[in-house]
Amino acid sequence: MDLQELRFDARVFSVDSVKNAAYRMAATFDADIKIDDNDIVCILSLRDPALKPDLNSLLNKFRREVIDHDLRLKISSKTEGVRNLILAHAFSRTGIIQSE
Amino acid sequence: MSKFQPLTFYSIQKRERYDLLPFTFERLDDERTLLTNMAGEFLVLPHSQIEEMVDGRLTPASAPYADLRARHFLTDELTRKSALELLALKVRSRYRRLPQFTGLHIFVVTLRCEHSCPYCQVSRQSEDKNAFDMTDEMASKALDLTFRSPSEAIKIEFQGGEPFLNFPLIQQIVREAEIRTCKEKKDLQFVIATNLAVANSEMLEFCAAHGIHISTSLDGPRDLHNKNRPRPGNDSYERVLEGIRFAREIVGRDKVAALMTTTEASLGRVKDIIDEYLAQGFHELFLRPLSPYGFAMKTKSFASYTTDRWLEFYKQGLEHIIDLNRTGISFREHFASLILKKMFTCDDPGYVDLMNPAGLGIGAIVYNYNGAVYASDESRMLAEMGDQSFKIGDVRTHTYEEIFLNPKLISALHESFTLSAPMCSQCAFEPFCGADPVYHHAQHAGDCVGHKAESGFCRKNMGIFKYLVGRMEDDPFVKDLFLKWANY
Repeated sequence: MDLQELRFDARVFSVDSVKNAAYRMAATFDADIKIDDNDIVCILSLRDPALKPDLNSLLNKFRREVIDHDLRLKISSKTEGVRNLILAHAFSRTGIIQSE
Repeated sequence: MSKFQPLTFYSIQKRERYDLLPFTFERLDDERTLLTNMAGEFLVLPHSQIEEMVDGRLTPASAPYADLRARHFLTDELTRKSALELLALKVRSRYRRLPQFTGLHIFVVTLRCEHSCPYCQVSRQSEDKNAFDMTDEMASKALDLTFRSPSEAIKIEFQGGEPFLNFPLIQQIVREAEIRTCKEKKDLQFVIATNLAVANSEMLEFCAAHGIHISTSLDGPRDLHNKNRPRPGNDSYERVLEGIRFAREIVGRDKVAALMTTTEASLGRVKDIIDEYLAQGFHELFLRPLSPYGFAMKTKSFASYTTDRWLEFYKQGLEHIIDLNRTGISFREHFASLILKKMFTCDDPGYVDLMNPAGLGIGAIVYNYNGAVYASDESRMLAEMGDQSFKIGDVRTHTYEEIFLNPKLISALHESFTLSAPMCSQCAFEPFCGADPVYHHAQHAGDCVGHKAESGFCRKNMGIFKYLVGRMEDDPFVKDLFLKWANY
C-alpha cells in the first residue's frame, strides 16, 4: 500500500483545518493525522488504486483544501460574535425563543 | 442645498476600516470562488480577492467592494447601522415557514395499482381491497391530525398505488376536510397523484367541483413511457395522454401537471423527453432521479446508473431547455427553479428535499393505507423494504403530540441539521441545500447524517449548484432566464 506523507507547519495551520480537509477528501484518501514537533503530519493512502496516475493533483487538491479550511476558520472566528448576534436578532420577534 | 449626498460621499477612495460579516466560500474552478452568507446572498469572485478581503486589504475603490457591501459580506461606516438589521430580516424570512409546521399531508388511500412499474417504490397489483385500502375510520383520524397542524395553508395529497381505485374515500376526505376548513379558517388545497388510466368523467368532474389539482406521470415519448410504465395492454402512454386531454377539458388546463422519473432507458433521451412535454402543451418539467427505496432497489433500477451519469443527463436537459428559451419558447425545469428561488430571493419554497431542518414531519407527513404514520413519503417507501425506522405512530392509537414528538423524528431532525452537520456546516451551498436523513439512513447503513464525502445526495446537489452558478456567470442570457425562473 502506497502511503503519502504531507506535512503542515503547526505554527501556520490549525489541526482542525487538516482534519476538515481529510474529512472532505475521505472518499479519495484514508488519512492518519498526528503531530510531530512543529508539524502536523498527514499520512494519506489512496482508497482506489485506479486513481494512482492522478496522485499528484489529488495531493495538491488536499493542500488547497487545508488552505481553504484555514481561511474558513479564520472568517468564522472573526465573525462568530456578529453571527450569533444576527441569529438572535433574526428570531427575537418570532415568539419562538422564550426568555428565561 | 441638495437633499442628496454628493457622489464623493459614496466613492471614498481612502482605505477605511470595514468589518467582515459571516460568510463561507467554495471554489468553482481554479480561478472563481463562490461566496455565500447565512441569508443565501451570493457572489462569485477571483479567489485572490477573498484573501485580500479577509486580510482587510480591500479599499472602497476595489472592484468587488460595493457588491460585497450590498450583499452583506462586509460592513463599513455607511452600512454599519443597517447591515445587521437587514441581514437578520433576511435570515428570519428564510425560516418563516418553520413556525407554520406541517403543510403537506399525504393520504395513501390505497396501495392497489393496475400498473407494474419496476421503479415504483410502493404499489401493489391486487384486487384485495381489505388488505390495501385505507378505511373510513383511519381517514377520519388522519384528518383529526391534519387539522391539528398550526399551518395556515394545508395541502392534502392523495397518493397510492393508484388513488382513483379508492375514489369513494377521496370524496369522503375532501368533503370532510372542506367542512373542517370552514371552522378552522385555513387555506386548503388538494392534489391527486394519479396515472389517470382509470380516471372517468365522474371522478374528474368531482375534481373540477372541488378545485383538485391533478399530478400525473409522463416519462417521455411512447416507447420510453411504455417501457418504464408497463400495464396490461402496454397502453400506458395512450391512456395518460387521453387522461391529460380529458382532465384538462374537465378540471382545467392549469390544474393538470406531469412528473417524470429517470430510468436507465431515459438517460440518452433527455431531449426527446423535453420535446414530448412541449408537444403535450406543458411548459415545465421536473427532471427527477430514482430514489433508493422500495421496488426501485428490489428490481435494481436505482443501481442502474450513477449520480455522475444522472448529472450528465440533467445538464444536457438544462442546456436543451436554455436553447429552447433562446429561440423564444418558454420552458422551465422545476428543480432548478426551486434552487434559484433559494438563491435569488429570501423565500424558501418549502420543497422537502431542500429544507433545513429536514422536511421530515415538519414539511410533510404521510398517513399510510394501514393507519401507520410516516415522517415523509420516502419513509413509507423505506418501510416497504421492511425498515420501519421512520414510522412515527399510528392514526388509530397515537395522539398528535405522541406522533410529532416521537424520538425517532426529533433525533433525525436534530442529527441531520445542516448548520451543525460535518461538511454541511462549512459548505457554501448550505443556504441552497437541505437535509435528507432518510436518504442517508438508506444509503449509509442507518446513519441519518451519512458521510458527505461519499453521499450521492451531496454529489448530486453540489453538481447542480455549481453548474447553475457557472452557467449564470458565463452567459448573461442564462442569468436573466434563471432570474425569471426564480421569481416565477
